[in-house]
Amino acid sequence: MTNPARAIDISVGLFILLGLGSVIFLVTQTLGSAGISASESYTVHARFNQIGDLKNRAPVALAGVTIGRVSKITLDPIAYTAVIELRIDSKFNQLPTDTDAAIATSGILGGKYIELSPGGDETVLQDQDEIEFTQSAILLENLIGKYMLNRKPESDE
Amino acid sequence: MITALRDCWFSFSQFAATFGGFQMFSFRLLPYLPRAVLRPRLITEQIYSVGALSLVLIMFGGLFVGMVLALQSYNTLVEFGQTDSLGAFASEALVRELGPVVATLLFAGRAGSAVASEVGLMRATDQIAAMELMAVDPIQRVVVPRFIAGVISVPLLAAIFSTMGVLGAYLVGVHLLGVDAGAFWSQIQDRVDVYEDIGSGIFKSFVFGVSASLMGVFEGYYAPPTAAGVSRAATRTVVITSVWILLLDFVLTSFTLPGT
Amino acid sequence: MKLAGNSGTNLVEVQDVRYSRSDRMLFNGLSLDIPRGKVTAVMGPSGTGKTTLLHLITGQLLPDEGVVLFDGRVVCPCSRRRLYETRRQIGVLFQNGALLTNLNVFENVAFPLREHTRLPEQLIRQIVLMKLHSVGLRAAWLKMPSQLSGGMARRVALARALVMDPKLIVYDEPFAGLDPISTGVIVRLIRQTNDALGITSIVVTHDVAETEMLADLIYLISGGKVVASGTPGELQNDNSPIVNQFMRGLADGPVPFHYPGPGYSAQLRAMSRA
Repeated sequence: MTNPARAIDISVGLFILLGLGSVIFLVTQTLGSAGISASESYTVHARFNQIGDLKNRAPVALAGVTIGRVSKITLDPIAYTAVIELRIDSKFNQLPTDTDAAIATSGILGGKYIELSPGGDETVLQDQDEIEFTQSAILLENLIGKYMLNRKPESDE
Repeated sequence: MITALRDCWFSFSQFAATFGGFQMFSFRLLPYLPRAVLRPRLITEQIYSVGALSLVLIMFGGLFVGMVLALQSYNTLVEFGQTDSLGAFASEALVRELGPVVATLLFAGRAGSAVASEVGLMRATDQIAAMELMAVDPIQRVVVPRFIAGVISVPLLAAIFSTMGVLGAYLVGVHLLGVDAGAFWSQIQDRVDVYEDIGSGIFKSFVFGVSASLMGVFEGYYAPPTAAGVSRAATRTVVITSVWILLLDFVLTSFTLPGT
Repeated sequence: MKLAGNSGTNLVEVQDVRYSRSDRMLFNGLSLDIPRGKVTAVMGPSGTGKTTLLHLITGQLLPDEGVVLFDGRVVCPCSRRRLYETRRQIGVLFQNGALLTNLNVFENVAFPLREHTRLPEQLIRQIVLMKLHSVGLRAAWLKMPSQLSGGMARRVALARALVMDPKLIVYDEPFAGLDPISTGVIVRLIRQTNDALGITSIVVTHDVAETEMLADLIYLISGGKVVASGTPGELQNDNSPIVNQFMRGLADGPVPFHYPGPGYSAQLRAMSRA
């Protein structure tokens, strides 16, 4: 009588392990180096006139390598600019204060992310500092509009 | 014409009555839950019957759904040159939607109907009445362990389904369609969010699990004690659970999707 | 409403009970007394509600009017706990045995012990085997209910009903569908357990022949009331039409052969018109 009961217990145990294992698998596959916890990171802000469809948790990259994530997006109601909070891995705490933050697009139709270009200053960005030099997002419609405006004089001739 | 209308009204009022009875039943179960923890053996047996035995179905289902999802989305993504996102796209769909929903639908079909017919049969063969006469509360002994087992099993099954789906998408995407393996996994890492996507998936599967289990035991417990009654209870369980899960999914999705 | 004390001669008293279900009046002023220590049979034509009477005694149903007493106390209305206490003193044998299909014979008989007591495993084993032995099925302890014949299943159910040593045991149609040998076994068991354990037995049945062998007291119920009561001998000699029809198995009498309705020619005319 104990044997069938034992078999059931083992099966249930395996089942639960499999289920939890699946959850762990899914979590690890989606976490990776992007799971930066607050203790190992520091925060800087940047202001933009236009952020396009930049989303929370978008990557922050330097030379194309992800070193942080966008952690908060808010609007400054007085200056009418977007204020972006960047959480950067503490390993990269040598960013000069004249670093440039630009909103770039990944691929042709990819999502927006922040690309940092370091300057040459000797002082470095600390926690709660603000990045002074920013480039807003380029909206596709504006680009097309500009292109069409530039073309017009040629077609007249 | 009048009879048709009257029939419609009748079936609607029946539905309302059943729904009301269902709510009452759910509340009736609540006080039994704490004591049920004292009989882990009963719950374990039910987890085996309801969860472990559904594994094959869920794993195959997940694998094939993942594979089809990869094939289907590749079709669309290749037009935009975004095939690298295949992994992320498939994973997000699985973890957020397909895992919880399809796993619960499969669960309702296999385990929900089994529980309904089991409990219904116990009623039809006087086993429930015998228990009552032996001063054993049948709700405590028969219904609650099955309910708890379902609530525990469905989220686990949904997770297993999603995982198998991702693996299926990987097999088809990388080995069949030539998507880059590195891109596959890294896109998942970049785009699928632990808290939002996996979190909402787990939340959904938990809610679905409660619903599916509740409906199975309810239909079985109140099934008319005849052979026809029991089989109808089993069928009704699948139908009612499926409709409710799909409805609930819409409601939950519209609340949990960012930007809505 | 009279209340018999615990030392009364009657274990169960049904006093002037009225009960109807879905517009059908099942009992209209039903009164009977079940004496302690004896085998009492409740008989009657099909559909008179004999099983409903059992449900009233065990508290599964509440009488519309009147009172059912068990051991001097009212069975219902009551709290669930009181009801369960009462039921623990009553063992019920269902028509089909009603064994739990996912447990083997041993576990089925042990079920009430496991649910209600904290007896050590050794003691449970002893009690269960003892009860199984008394019904002659000790060696079948490992079988599953699906592997048992009807008669054997009923015997296991009897062992289970006896395992908590109840004061009252109720048999619902115990002879239905059994071959002569099994029937004889059940008759013997009912009588033996009643006498050996000093308990009270109620047998609900149609079986006139078996009842005459078995019962100390017979109640005949028809039309919602007790129409006759007495020892088997008294009922045999009773000349009233309903008792006569029942005891001798006559096709027609107070319980009519023809289902009540219009006359033959009237029905033919009505059908050809429609």
